[in-house]
Amino acid sequence: MVSSTPSISFDTLKRENLFRNPPKDKSAFPALLAAVQPHIDSFNAVTVEGGLLDLARQDIGVKSVFNGKNQNENLGDKLSLRVDKIYIGKPRISDRDKTSLRREIYPAECRERHITYRGRLTVKIGLRINNGSWISQDREIGNIPVMVRSNRCNLENLSPYDLVEHKEESEELGGYFVVNGIEKIIRLLIVARRNYPMAILRSSFAGRGKSYTQFGVQIRSVRPDQTSQTNVLHYLSDGNVTFRFSWRKQEFLVPVMMVLKALVETNDREIFDRLLAVKDRENSFLTDRVELLLRTYKGYQLYTKKETLQHLGERFRIVMGVALDMTDMEVGREFLRKVVLVHLEDPKDKFRLMLFMIRKLYALVEGSCTQDNPDAIQHQEILLGGFLYGMIIKERVEEYLDQIIKEVRREVMRGMLIDFNNKEHRTKIFGKVNENLGSSLEYFMSTGNLSSPSGLDLQQVSGFTVVAEKINFYRFISHFRMVHRGSFFAQLKTTTVRKLLPESWGFLCPVHTPDGSPCGLLNHLTHKCRITTAISDTSSIRKTLVSLGVTSPATASLPSSATTCIQLDGCIIGWCSLKLARVVSDTLRYWKVEGTHGVPLDLEIGYVPESKGGQFPGVYLFSQQARMIRPVKYLPLDKEDQIGPFEQPYMSVAVTPSEISPGESTHVEFDPTNILSILANMTPFSDFNQSPRNMYQCQMSKQTMGTPGTALRYRSDNKMYRLQTGQTPVVRSPLYSEYGLDNFPNGTNAIVAVISYTGYDMDDAMILNKSAHERGFSHGTIYKTEKLGWADEKRRGGTDSKNLFGFVNTEDIEAQIDDIHEMDDSTDEAKIFKQRAYEKLGIKEEWLKTVDIDGLPKIGQLVRDGDAVAVYHEVPKESDAGSTRPRNKVFIYKGSEEAYIEEVRLLGTEGGDNKPMQQITIKYRVPRSPNIGDKFSSRHGQKGVCSQKWPAIDMPFTESGMQPDIIINPHAFPSRMTIGMFVESLAGKAGALHGIAQDSTPFRFDEENTAADYFGHQLKVAGYNYHGNEPMYSGITGEELHADIYIGVVYYQRLRHMVNDKYQVRTTGKISDLTHQPIKARDSVTLRYFAIL
Amino acid sequence: MSDQREAYQPPNSGSGRSYAGPSAASGTMHYLCAECGVKVGINKGEPIRCKECGHRILYKQRTKRMVQFEAR
Repeated sequence: MVSSTPSISFDTLKRENLFRNPPKDKSAFPALLAAVQPHIDSFNAVTVEGGLLDLARQDIGVKSVFNGKNQNENLGDKLSLRVDKIYIGKPRISDRDKTSLRREIYPAECRERHITYRGRLTVKIGLRINNGSWISQDREIGNIPVMVRSNRCNLENLSPYDLVEHKEESEELGGYFVVNGIEKIIRLLIVARRNYPMAILRSSFAGRGKSYTQFGVQIRSVRPDQTSQTNVLHYLSDGNVTFRFSWRKQEFLVPVMMVLKALVETNDREIFDRLLAVKDRENSFLTDRVELLLRTYKGYQLYTKKETLQHLGERFRIVMGVALDMTDMEVGREFLRKVVLVHLEDPKDKFRLMLFMIRKLYALVEGSCTQDNPDAIQHQEILLGGFLYGMIIKERVEEYLDQIIKEVRREVMRGMLIDFNNKEHRTKIFGKVNENLGSSLEYFMSTGNLSSPSGLDLQQVSGFTVVAEKINFYRFISHFRMVHRGSFFAQLKTTTVRKLLPESWGFLCPVHTPDGSPCGLLNHLTHKCRITTAISDTSSIRKTLVSLGVTSPATASLPSSATTCIQLDGCIIGWCSLKLARVVSDTLRYWKVEGTHGVPLDLEIGYVPESKGGQFPGVYLFSQQARMIRPVKYLPLDKEDQIGPFEQPYMSVAVTPSEISPGESTHVEFDPTNILSILANMTPFSDFNQSPRNMYQCQMSKQTMGTPGTALRYRSDNKMYRLQTGQTPVVRSPLYSEYGLDNFPNGTNAIVAVISYTGYDMDDAMILNKSAHERGFSHGTIYKTEKLGWADEKRRGGTDSKNLFGFVNTEDIEAQIDDIHEMDDSTDEAKIFKQRAYEKLGIKEEWLKTVDIDGLPKIGQLVRDGDAVAVYHEVPKESDAGSTRPRNKVFIYKGSEEAYIEEVRLLGTEGGDNKPMQQITIKYRVPRSPNIGDKFSSRHGQKGVCSQKWPAIDMPFTESGMQPDIIINPHAFPSRMTIGMFVESLAGKAGALHGIAQDSTPFRFDEENTAADYFGHQLKVAGYNYHGNEPMYSGITGEELHADIYIGVVYYQRLRHMVNDKYQVRTTGKISDLTHQPIKARDSVTLRYFAIL
Repeated sequence: MSDQREAYQPPNSGSGRSYAGPSAASGTMHYLCAECGVKVGINKGEPIRCKECGHRILYKQRTKRMVQFEAR
């Protein structure tokens, strides 16, 4: 990817034009779309025609059941079931609805109505009776949440113009789900690298049983449909090896020899020969152990493949839950297919890889190879949301089939006669099975909890989804780039998993991780890191390898000379000598970048050279999904190469062109900033700052009151923050424009003086110029949306609501209200009389100040705590008609602050039930001008609290009469060493003076060309002090200050933590005797507890 | 807090109509369809539906009445 010519100019007209006329073809910000692409692509890969769901249904296979009572060996008729097709429809309104013209549902409606954006899930079930032909039957099994902008979304491939038409942002990214009106995303999760046998040392392995040791080789094998099964080989202290797997959350152990003998027809000699190359046979450590391995297996007295399969089948028949008429041998085969190295299809491949794993295990025990670090990104990949979603659907559908079978069995056991040929009997069975798979997926999306019988080979059961909060755009976009290590590791007491390892270079951002409990577990992808979502074409790799002189395992077993194994996605595809391995990997890389010989560009060529006690050598090729990949420049061809985390530790990638050492470096980074995430790249001159400050900035930019989007009108989030006067920063990097962040400004350019002026700027306090405040500096707004009504009660299984919005006696009120209003209230007596008139109508006078005659609040009305916002009443019962009029009741506005009614939405329901209005939402607007106690921060982790709004006449001023908007204390700098902020101030000042935007990309300056000189020079040209200092005058005395003051332009963010949300003052109630401070409720409980003791 | 509220008087209270009912006085309020933008008259008790396109969300219109706040 050769990045387009980076522009740092403001491009005001271009931006304005884009905003006025959203493009009708494609987005102007492809980089932004690329940031969420992994989410959308993974979902598409699942649902596309012939996609992963299709592979999943093939893997489910055929399930069968009999209607006999299993007496006298008579099984009865056999009903076979399979899934012919799983189909997810696009979101549409239900067929019961007859009134709507447009049948599609768009995400904006779901957000406004607080419903789920979902499409219909349909399975085509294939049925076969005995050996008849297959008949298909469609079953609708609920509605499942659909990813926005995926191929199942009505917004797919829409242009920015059309998106705006559908009430979305012009740059709507998608990649999330809308569940009950809330935007949810499935977190990216780090899992073990697929199809690579990892050597593991784990003390818990030793606790597994007698003679178990800490040594093991583990492989996470992934089926083509992306479901996985982990296999582990354990080393026993006597030299034996056991095969372990877990099936439906239960663990099983099988001697590895049994698995080997079941896979292919083999003998001990062959196993010995294939396990040990000629060189290894002089190594008595290895020969002893292999001999023992073979010898102890003799005890089982199983010699042929058939015998072994039968033995396995007999043992695992119940566990696997297979059909009754399967022979033991078939069950044994099914066991191998479903459990052993499931990424491979051919038993011969499985056999070869199993031998390789045993060899690696022995090498680990011997010490000739080291353990693989499961915490290093080298041995990790990303579990993408879409794939996880597909896995859950697969399991649910399989469970659905199992339920049908269970239902048939239950009926048969109860003595019912079931005739499979009878259609009524079949419908009866289907009717008894829970056919609402959609609700379980909706449950998963809304809670993030996984309820699964198999556990999906994952280490956690909860925390899979998070709310994609739109506090500001930075936070929103970060959700999509976030990768989590897994909630299992959050409880771990050791810090090893949290460490930043050098392997992560270029894939995970070293800066962008939160501090505190999720530190190091919650990382963010670098902005150039991509995740593969499709298999690259490797069809001609084997041929290419043979042409390079590699021995193919198809033609020969382990050749005596060959020592290095070549694997493609965990399948052994060749053997070669050590020398040749290097040549092979180098040649492959050349061809891959060149694009010839059918080597795809995103193929990962992990060449692990021979070493003394290092990683087990070999050439490991990876071409499948879920790999992280990033672009670097390949020097021999001067072209872009895509590299992955497995190969990177064995490559020499220079960071800058000057760093290239001839003969050693093969690659060079396109840009040193490629190691940073999107947000970390937005910190100006971050290379000048002490590193933790950059981390703080990444955190704070996500808590800024900024611009969450432009389609706020069509959203009804619980709480939304908005900065009224957002500006584009003067100092920014080209990436700022590339990601189109001007659409979502996050702060204001402020004139900042670094001076200790009033004493009110101690300890990270800052002084705000009162006039700046009055001109609207950092003015913000909070939008709060409240749901009113009774729709939720009904959803929770309550009866039909008995309430209605509006006045019960609208006509009477309309007729009389004007007269009552105009009634005289000059005397006390008249007041009472007027009061009575209102009471007679069943209303209160003050209600009508905020509520219209329809019972809903007036738009634009100011409301305070306790004001009525909606009127409702009970529906008069038909039985006691005419007896008493139900009373008018009100919903009131609760909130300590004044708010304005911004929007009122009347929400209807789907379906033609003709029900009256049961739910409304009211959006309140709470204005929040900057207040004393509100939090602000620059982009360098320099947060501070506003301590005073200082009158402009008392503010210091420069010789040109300039006054600062913000004063901060010089003491904020020495210990924090945020030099970047000084440079930004300098650059911002020069930029403002010359009317240009300044490039703040880190790593652009060095000792010879300093930033201070570059920007100082600009200042000098503009007639200002080279160092950015200016003489200033006291605003109070008018005298010149003794020192020159550092003053410049810094981009300031207003953080969302505001005193108005926080202050809790209490003047009455209990106070502590000792401190005279109010006692918290919790403390008083504790005190009482102590008193009892 | 409560003192403040009593002290505040909405600018047009006491001076004529303070509620902004439809002056046509038909009892029907008009709302805007979220989909096609057409004005929809909904009587009390009627289901929330756009009469033109059948859409399920209606917005309340901003009042035509003068809204004035004390500039403080």
